[in-house]
Amino acid sequence: MVSKTEEDQVNRLESQVENGGGGEWEYLCLVRKLKLRRSYNVLKYGLSILNDPKKRSAIGPEEWTLYEQVAAAAMDCQRLDLAKDYVKVLLEKFPESKRVGRLEAMLLEAMGLWEEAEKAYSSLLEDNELDPVIHKRRVAMAKAQGNISGAIEWLNKYLEIFMVDHDAWRELAEIYVSLQMYKQAAFCYEELILSQPTIPLYHLAYADVLYTLGGLENLHMAYKYYASTIDLTGGKHTRALFGICLCTSAIDQLTRGRNKDDKENLQLAPLSALALGKDYKQRAPNKVSMLASTLRSLKLSS
Amino acid sequence: MGAGFVVGVLGVLFLSHAAYSTIQYRSLLKITEDEFTGPPINVVMELIAGLVLCMWAALTVPGKFLSILPQSDENRVVALPSNLDFMIFNHRGKAFPLSIDAKLK
Repeated sequence: MVSKTEEDQVNRLESQVENGGGGEWEYLCLVRKLKLRRSYNVLKYGLSILNDPKKRSAIGPEEWTLYEQVAAAAMDCQRLDLAKDYVKVLLEKFPESKRVGRLEAMLLEAMGLWEEAEKAYSSLLEDNELDPVIHKRRVAMAKAQGNISGAIEWLNKYLEIFMVDHDAWRELAEIYVSLQMYKQAAFCYEELILSQPTIPLYHLAYADVLYTLGGLENLHMAYKYYASTIDLTGGKHTRALFGICLCTSAIDQLTRGRNKDDKENLQLAPLSALALGKDYKQRAPNKVSMLASTLRSLKLSS
Repeated sequence: MGAGFVVGVLGVLFLSHAAYSTIQYRSLLKITEDEFTGPPINVVMELIAGLVLCMWAALTVPGKFLSILPQSDENRVVALPSNLDFMIFNHRGKAFPLSIDAKLK
């Protein structure tokens, strides 16, 4: 989970390294710790460290982790020649390693040789049946080949064994959302919220899915979850604030004919409109008028 | 840092001096065979002064306190880590390979 300070730190280091101020190794370590996918930068700066024998010896035994990181980044940037070189170096150093075997199979994937990669993964699985990373790579391969239903099948089988894997639940939810199967996506997000209730972004995604599903009950739930997102982020999450305004206007539209007594009071909308106004004034002052007209049209339509 | 440290040392000295005076007072009471109801008033004042100094030093010497609320401005979760286990290489970035010269070795 990337907190605000960590994000600021990464951005600061990135601009520092880009302007030639050193600190590449710290940047690469931070990217690795926070699991960010900044492959262009990782490849550029990793190359600069690995090509310089002085810098390479300065990092000592961690250079092999760096090789792995830069090899993955090279595959992401479509520089398969570089990736092949790095994997070869790692193979020379660690000939019997499963980790390098996985990297090799990833390289086959990146080159588009799906059958060879499938064979490599199956042979790796024979040695250790329950390696979660290999199962996940198989899902990724199915997804990359466009076989989304196969990916869902594999992922469901994986989740039957490893029910605690949050990344897998998140991936399944995103696949379902891409296929517009919102009920199943809502189930996945519920699992995520159950296991990690303090991460506001899961609440936000769940609220988004509920709002998309529509219907009065779902809108009420979405309203509650947008509110909990705002609570967990200290009121600074613009998207959740907008979510409250939209939910309020949608609920008002649906319950237009009913009595005033039946309606629950949804008092958060004016507060979030205020908060949005303040935020926009601070960060994007030329868009304040657009914000005001949008909010007014939301209230008018109810 | 230096001033806070000195204040802390001073506070500890005050406390140890108060402890020593209390022990002396008790031994004096043993001689006169009176009961020990409590340390004399000046020892109590010295204790309070030592307490205040030590607390002030404890709060200033360690430096800036880190925030612990998960929704504070520094700690709030801004982004989730990208799912690197499910990373696929079959994306549109394939059309734009990074053009740097190959590595030496």
